[in-house]
Parts: sequence; structure tokens; C-alpha cells
Amino acid sequence: MEQQISSITELSKSQAPSFANYELDAAYDEMFEHDGTARAQYRPLFNRLQELAPSELKQRQQTADIAFLNQGITFTVYGNNEGTERIFPYDLLPRIITAEEWTKLEKGLAQRITALNLFLKDIYHEGRILNDGVVPRDLVYSCKHYRREMRGIRIRRDIYVSVVGTDLVRLNDGEFAILEDNLRVPSGVSYMLANRQVMKRVFPGMFSSYNVQPIDHYGQALLSTLRALAPPNRPDPTIVLLTPGVFNSAYYEHTFLARQMGIELVEGRDLIVHDNIVYMRTTGGLRRVDVIYRRVDDDFIDPLTFRPGSILGAPGLFNAYRAGNVALANAPGTGVADDKALYAFVPAIIKYYLDEDPILPNVETYLLSDDKQRRHVLANLDKLVVKAVGESGGYGMLIGPHSTAQEREVFKQLIESDPRNYIAQPTLALSRAPCFIDGRVEARHVDLRPYILYGENITIVPGGLTRVALRRGSLVVNSSQGGGSKDTWVLS
Amino acid sequence: MFYSIRHITRFSYSSPVSESAMEVRMQPRSEANQKCIRFDLATQPRSKIQGYRDHIGNIVHHFSIPGRHQQLKINAEATVEVTPALALPQALPTQAWHDLESLCASDEYWDYLVPSRYAHSSELLDVFKKEWNIERRDDPLTLLHEISALIYEEFDYAPQTTSVDSTIDHALEERRGVCQDFAHVMIALGRDLGIPCRYVSGYLYHGGARDRSAADATHAWAEAYLPDFGWIGFDPTNNIMTGERHIRTAVGRDYADVPPTKGIFKGKANTELSVGVQVSPTEAPPPGEEMIQMHTWISEPAQIEDDLQQQQQQQQQQ
Repeated sequence: MEQQISSITELSKSQAPSFANYELDAAYDEMFEHDGTARAQYRPLFNRLQELAPSELKQRQQTADIAFLNQGITFTVYGNNEGTERIFPYDLLPRIITAEEWTKLEKGLAQRITALNLFLKDIYHEGRILNDGVVPRDLVYSCKHYRREMRGIRIRRDIYVSVVGTDLVRLNDGEFAILEDNLRVPSGVSYMLANRQVMKRVFPGMFSSYNVQPIDHYGQALLSTLRALAPPNRPDPTIVLLTPGVFNSAYYEHTFLARQMGIELVEGRDLIVHDNIVYMRTTGGLRRVDVIYRRVDDDFIDPLTFRPGSILGAPGLFNAYRAGNVALANAPGTGVADDKALYAFVPAIIKYYLDEDPILPNVETYLLSDDKQRRHVLANLDKLVVKAVGESGGYGMLIGPHSTAQEREVFKQLIESDPRNYIAQPTLALSRAPCFIDGRVEARHVDLRPYILYGENITIVPGGLTRVALRRGSLVVNSSQGGGSKDTWVLS
Repeated sequence: MFYSIRHITRFSYSSPVSESAMEVRMQPRSEANQKCIRFDLATQPRSKIQGYRDHIGNIVHHFSIPGRHQQLKINAEATVEVTPALALPQALPTQAWHDLESLCASDEYWDYLVPSRYAHSSELLDVFKKEWNIERRDDPLTLLHEISALIYEEFDYAPQTTSVDSTIDHALEERRGVCQDFAHVMIALGRDLGIPCRYVSGYLYHGGARDRSAADATHAWAEAYLPDFGWIGFDPTNNIMTGERHIRTAVGRDYADVPPTKGIFKGKANTELSVGVQVSPTEAPPPGEEMIQMHTWISEPAQIEDDLQQQQQQQQQQ
């Protein structure tokens, strides 16, 4: 390994000052082979970067930052008192995925979403998979995102998850594995689109020299997906995007997507349900709503059915939904299938419904409700990652190798008091990609979140959001935890 | 027996409200020894009533009233036939505990075996269990009879001392409450023993019987699932088994699943809720409203979490 590190340093020193301190370690490097030579798909990019002085890279980074600032692409960090609204950090250097790699990802993701959707349909109807003992019933029934109200409801096309963001990581052997499914209200797709816009502006020549598959049609694909969910007797459906409002961290994305699709952005107070029909208040009177792309959590969408105090939803919405008069994307109750303990059963779920082996593997996962597995995890907390099953956004997590004894003690007690609520996984060496940081190129850990749309059929725009753990050595890529992102190129 | 039931609910608001949306669980169930022959529901102001069957098999009606109103009246009328419940033996063999084990292992009654919002374990419940040595012994039926009698003996029936959203701790602490509290305590104890238990809301025809529960009101009791016999009703408020006088409207894990009315409106107003119930054998003509004694409660405006900013932030980002 030492030798490999020196070889890239040698290579870089002579030709590309920005790469002078670039290091390779055991983690898979997106750009370089183990021997320090650039991978074939990265070679033209690497060569071009060598021609650019660090000052020029810096200048382009500034151009990019200004573009983001002008577009108002921000997100909000909760629990941070100073200036909670931030610009989403953008890294200048693209991440490149080959056509061959993408074909496998696409197949694997489609397989996984198809199976998870069948699972959701099953557990809200006959529950065959529970009766057959493939997935433990108590795991499903005890999940706080399992909605008993969804039992027995037939929904349009039997599609529960229309918009999915699946988190993938690339492991040391270069193979992708699934880290997490996000089946409720996945966010971040606007950053994927914005990153591409900015990339075209900052590196127009280099971008066009590569054959990158386009992603700009995401908005139209999302619109078609939503349209496919409309009640069959509504040939020209009115589609809206329901946002919690301006204080929500993803509000920028909500406005962006509504604009892209040319649909109304509404808040709960803009909607009214009468006689099982949903209307939106407009200056011209009430207008019937047929499909709601809701970016509001289940709990809040209807105070009559779910959380009584919610003012973010519309009273009676769920009854209109049950009656088939309005579609919701995603369906309520999909969170049971992205529960982190349920995750361990997804390979079995794929096998059960499709009789296929999973194309994309899972990461090894310990269920802490199991006595034996829990004992093992508690004895190895310093090596493992512990996650709360119903959380997202990088909250409620312990990264063993980076934790203090005190933090481990806290998690030990949390786990012992509610084992069902936690899982553990080995600390993964996420792959690393070159990032432009403080005037030079350094390796940072990255993941990949492709966005999957499920309407009349499954559409995955080539690529996704590559999230970057910007702090050196950090493994947490969530934007809420100080992560950034970079453009993701899928070659054709 | 045929019964005619009239159930009137009136919400009076201290100032006009609008956009009322409401769900009603009042239609008697048709199953086992009970059959709902007729059910009518009307509201004032008038509304279009819609309905659905929820996942537990209860019929739920719902309606919306968009315009301004200062009073909302719901009038439910039903005709129900109830035949005597299946006769039960005095006791079951002790083997019944074993049969329960295998029943519970199948997970089919999962929802009725784990704690729920109002029927859950607590320190006070543990104290009560210890005090009366409630643990598996004899057979499940005998023990359930004992628990029902114990609640009857140990708790005072005291209307207005607890509210619809009181926890069992409230009743356990003060050793008094109403039918809802007693049902929740019994359910919590039954589940703790590994017996599937659920909550039933409905009516009790008094007809001169010396029942402890209030006449002309809605009633609630507990059901336990016993192998070979199915759901068996226990009415701890009156220490009786349910029978021909009990009329079931809805079942659930606890009260939270089956409130007779559940609604929301727009506006800032205090609500005065009056409820009148009359259950009578149908030989007599259905009585008019003037004959029904109304019971009234006054409540503060529903607690709306009006911190908009906080709710917007609470949305989980994925």
C-alpha cells in the first residue's frame, strides 16, 4: 500500500500540482487503480485536470458557488443555532460511472423496488409473507411506520412507492451494495439536477467531450409517473406538490420540482376536502385535485386520520384517498419497508416475490432484538455502526471507530432499553473520490443515491446524487451532517 | 331480543366554526349473536354521509360541513337483534393456557397482545397485580372472571372523574373511573397474562337491571380471546359476562381505535358536547328526542399544535 501511495504522488508531482497530496488507501478509489493510474473512464478528465493550474480550478469553484447562491439552492440544518440556512456544498470534480456499471445498477434497483412494492401490497392485504414466516410479523407490526389504516385499501395500479431514493455504497472490491432504501419522502433530486446545470457551465468543454447520458428529463418523468397514478376517470388530472412550508429544510427542492413540472405548490391550508373530493383554493374558486405528490410525512397529512394536531395536511384527505378519488405519492405506510431492521430481510423478500437472487447485495446487518446478535454487537461497539431503525438523515447514529467511550455507553443503554429500535452494521470503507478542497485535490468518501420512479413502468434517470463526506476521514455523507455533493456522470 | 337505539350527539360552539370534518363509529356490528337490521345517520346542518369499513371491520361514517355553523347535531338510529351468547362452561381445563400459547405463537392476535396507547403496562398496574396476586393460575376463564370481579370490587364507579383520554394510571391511582377505564385496566391485565384482549364500545340495555354503569349512555367493556370459544365479553363495570343486553358498535385495541365521534373544525371556539342515548326494546315505539336525557360536557378548544414552523421542521428528511 505504501508503495501505491508513493506512486501516485510521484506521478502527480511531476504533472498535476493539484494532485500532489492525493493518497490512496484500502478503500476503492473512484478515479485511480490501486497502482495509481487513472481508470480508463477517468483518463480524459485526469489529463484535462493536469493542464489546469490550481488557481484556475479555484476560479471555477467560485463560479460554481456563485451559481448556487444565485439560484438560492440552500438547505437547512436543524439543531444548529448559527445561520441554519446553508448553501449545499458542491464539489467541482464529477464522479463517473461506466455504462456497464450502470446497466447492473439499473437492473438491481428495478428488481429491488419491484419486490419492495409487492411486499407493501402483501402486508397491507393478505400478509402471505408473514403467514409463511419469511418476514417476522412482529417486525412489521411493531414498526412505527406501519399504518393499520392502509390495510385492505386498494390503490391505483397497486403502486405504493412511486418516488424512491436508494443509497448505494461501493465497497473495497469495487462492487456496489445497497446501504439504505428511502421509500417515504426521499429528497435531494434537485441537487442532482442543479449539479448538472452548474457542471455544464463550469466545464462545458470537458462535459461535451464525454458521452454523458442526460438527466434533464427527470421533471417530465416524475410528472408522467404522477399522472399514471391519477384516478382512471380523470383523464386530464390536476397534480399538485404538497409542501410542509417555507421552514422545511427541503423547501427549495419543493419549489424547484413544482416549477420543473409546471404544477401548483400547495400547503395543507390551501386544500379542502368535501364529500370525499380534494380541492385546492385558487383565486378562481375551488379546483379539484387528483394527484398529490406529498413531501409531508404520513403523520401530518390528515389530522382526522393521523396526528390530530397537525396543521400541515388536510382533514379528510385519507378518506378521499381510500375512496380512490385522489392519489398520494408515495402511499402512506411505505416507511415500514425502509425500516432499517426490515432491510435485513430485503434479499429474502426479493427471493420470495420474484424468485430471483438479488442483483445488488445488502450490507451485513445485525438485528439487535436477537439476543445472540445483540451480545456480539455490544461487545464490538467500537468497530460497528449502530443506527436507529426509523431515523434518517444521519441522525441517531453511532460510528464505532470514531466514537468516544461515553458515546458508546449511551448507545449501549439505548440498545438495551429498546433493542427493536436499533441495528448494527460493520463500518464500511465507502469508496473515495477526488474532491477539490482548499486549492488541491483530496480523496473523500462518497455514496450514490439514484432516484427511481415507478408509474406505468420503472424509470431511473442515469446517475443520481453522489454525496460526499467533506470532512477528511468522515463516513457521514448526509447534507444535514455537513456533507456535500458532486455531479454524477453515467457514460453511454 | 330486538332493540331500538337512538344516539344523539350535539356539539355547540361558543363562536361560529367552519370546515368541520368528522368520523362516526356508531353502527352496530353484525356478527356472532348480533345483527344490525337498520341504521340511519343524519346531521344538522345537513351533510352527505359516506362510509367505509375499517381494517377491524367497524363501519365508519364520515361527513364534512364546509360552511359556518355554531352547532352540529348527529342523530343515529339503529334497530338491532341480539340473541343470547353461547353458553360457556364454568371453567376451562388448565390445558387452555397451553392452547393459548400456541395461539399466540401464530401471531394472528399480535395487535391484541401487545400494549396499546390506553391499555399498557405501568408501575401502578404492577403494584395492582402484586397486591392481588394476578398471575397465571387455574385456567384463563376462571382468572378472567376473578379479574372482572376484582375491578368491580376495587374501583368506584365515578362519572366525570376521568376523561376520554385518561390513562389507566389515573384510574389505578384513584381506584375509581368509568367503564372505559375499567375496560382498559382489564385489557392491560389480560394482555399481561398472554391472553389476547380487545376493547368494545357499544350500549347496554338496563331494563330495570341494577347495573352500576349509567343508563342512557354509551358503554364499553373488554373481550378476551379464548381457544375454542373465540372472543368472550367481560363487563367489569357491572361484573357480568356480556350477553343479550350488550350491543356492540365497534372493536379495537383500545378506545383510541373506536371513539364514537372524532372530528376537527376550523375556528377558535369552546365546544360543548351533549350526548343522549336511549336503548329500548322495539315493542315500544322509538322515543322522541324530548324523552332522552342529554349529558353535557364542555371542553376547551382542541389542542392544536399551532407552531407551524416546528411542524414544518419535524418532517423527516430522507
